[in-house]
Amino acid sequence: MAISVFPSAAARGLLFLSLILALPVAQVRCAARDMPSAHNPMSAPEKAQDKTQETSSQFDDLAARAAAARDQQNLPVAIQLYTQAEQLKPDWQEGWWYLGVLQYSANQFTGAIDAFTRLLQLVPTAVPAMALRGLCEFETGAYDDSLRDLEQAVAHGALNEPHNEPIIRYHLAQLLTHAGRFQEALEQYRVFAEHKADAPDLKIGIALAGMRVASFPKDAADKDREFYLAAGNAGYVFFSGDNEQADGLFGQLFARYPSAPNLHYFYGFLLFPHDPGLAIDQFRGELAVNPGNETANALLALTLVIAGRFTEALEPAQRAYANAPDMEMAQLALGRSLAETGDMRRGAELLNQVLARDPNSLEAHLGLVSIFSRSGNREDAERERKVCRDLAK
Amino acid sequence: MAQHPKAANAPVTCATCHNGAATSYATAPMRHAMEPQGANPALATHTDMSVQLGAYSYRVQTKDGQSTYAVSDGTDTLTLPIHWIFGQHAQTWVLEKDGHYYESLVSYFPRANGLAITPGDQKITPHNLTEAMGRQLPIWETRTCFNCHGSGVVAGEKLTPAKVTPGLDCERCHAGAQQHMADAAQDNFKTLPKSLKRLDAEQVSDFCGQCHRTWDTVMRNKWHGPAFVRFQPYRLENSKCFIGNDPRISCLACHNPHQPVNHDVAFYDAKCLACHAESKSASASAAMKTCPVAKSNCTSCHMPKVELPGGHAQFTDHYIRVVHAGEPYPE
Repeated sequence: MAISVFPSAAARGLLFLSLILALPVAQVRCAARDMPSAHNPMSAPEKAQDKTQETSSQFDDLAARAAAARDQQNLPVAIQLYTQAEQLKPDWQEGWWYLGVLQYSANQFTGAIDAFTRLLQLVPTAVPAMALRGLCEFETGAYDDSLRDLEQAVAHGALNEPHNEPIIRYHLAQLLTHAGRFQEALEQYRVFAEHKADAPDLKIGIALAGMRVASFPKDAADKDREFYLAAGNAGYVFFSGDNEQADGLFGQLFARYPSAPNLHYFYGFLLFPHDPGLAIDQFRGELAVNPGNETANALLALTLVIAGRFTEALEPAQRAYANAPDMEMAQLALGRSLAETGDMRRGAELLNQVLARDPNSLEAHLGLVSIFSRSGNREDAERERKVCRDLAK
Repeated sequence: MAQHPKAANAPVTCATCHNGAATSYATAPMRHAMEPQGANPALATHTDMSVQLGAYSYRVQTKDGQSTYAVSDGTDTLTLPIHWIFGQHAQTWVLEKDGHYYESLVSYFPRANGLAITPGDQKITPHNLTEAMGRQLPIWETRTCFNCHGSGVVAGEKLTPAKVTPGLDCERCHAGAQQHMADAAQDNFKTLPKSLKRLDAEQVSDFCGQCHRTWDTVMRNKWHGPAFVRFQPYRLENSKCFIGNDPRISCLACHNPHQPVNHDVAFYDAKCLACHAESKSASASAAMKTCPVAKSNCTSCHMPKVELPGGHAQFTDHYIRVVHAGEPYPE
């Protein structure tokens, strides 16, 4: 099954419809319904009232014509009429919504951002507006704003609407990659593979996230696209559950691109949750190709720790910590490997350093369990075990 | 270390010098964690087993030391040879088809005296004969299966199940044993495998837990419920009396991996009483409580048997504790 995940005109149309349906009715009050009913104006106050009625009448007329133009898919006229109507009644939520959606559909992203911003000022919890503004910001290159809006929209349930989910998730994955949050990006891309959604740039996106390239698929150089496509395809196949085929594809890639940076790292990262042993082989492969890859080195050390190979972990952990003393992964790996190979005091120091920043680090608490247990500190060991059990719930 | 003169022309094995351990280990459970084709008593004595599960019928037959596993939907039948037998009592088979490895969807259970669905596979609804035959194993699971039930899986090398030695040989736990043996044959006794005797209780737990699963592994995977009662190091470390620097609570305090498991409950009393015996010292008694109910058969109360869901077997819960009647399975 192929699902379009790109901001094509067709996709925007889908989004347009689904977001209209998705916007909570209660959030977009129909301003026309709130207008006072007309009666004869005579006195001064009545004249003012008459003026209000005239405005109301104009607004009603504009709103009706805007809706008609929208129904007829006449975007330029509908945008113009909604704009005029909003000038008469700036707190008309429904108008801002349609103005934003229509401008988004017409590729008028700056105007759409403004419209959604006005709506969000009136209804801060309008999740579809948040999501659409994020997509518009993506188009204008305001990537930080876009990521913030899309993450907030997702946190408020924007992915629960099946029609909107692919486009929001795809943009979010790209933005997370661009922001260097590769693991989170891969988690978003994984969903596409699990649902067998397919598209060329999707696989390039997977490759970029997997190989830690903080870039967008559209910016991939022509000379690199074939490689990214193949690497992304291997990752995609892995995510889709066919690990044997993926293993073969990665094997072909290693043969064809033996010195490609982060290719072994990518496969190791995919294997890491399933089998530390296999992941270790890949991280070692990465370091053989690219000895200066500090992330691979730190992850190798941590994976060796998780595999219980503490003596082996010590050397890469020391190197990782020497190069990046603030890296949590390096602190964890060195702390645990030192503690397990004899230096419990220094090990505990490093693990507590991790906990000072991240009190819910299971790995750090596991390390402390071992230290307290092996040193005969029953009370502290039991306390740390309880923390681990709570974290593992 | 025992050193014995070599008999002329006799091949050097671990038993050449370590005869006692090698001899007793021949019957130890880990030695038989996987059985080679034709060597399994259960299949030898149950030569024709069958079971119907939904739309599929299964049949495991043994003839002249060769076992086959067949599944039929009533129209077509898929028959595969059984090369790898996992488990000494209850047993599951790893099957190969078209270069892929599968965990058999049915297993043999002594208590059921026959075939039943493999634990953990109850939720699988097969759509064809291959799916009915077994669950295709991911590459890492195949590796884990063979690495814990056999010997010769080499880190960094592609797994070749045909080259794996069934059961755990000396080298599997005593890394370096092969080199030591080769050197010893040349009268060089300097290359010794790393001693496991110096491991403390926590380290022993982690060592055994490589296959029996560590406390860390269970926490990391967020495993909950009685299905994980079979992971003894994890359960043991939950015990209030477990502490990593006390050899009296190490796995090895009760179990000699070179010998068969002792099923006599009384055998373990001395292990418990090593800590929980009446003491003349008031402070020692206060630290380690004594049982007000009995002084024997400790494990029958404090290490209850737990039914493994879908496993047609009970496991001894190694979470040592005061058990209260009717209480739920404790995590």
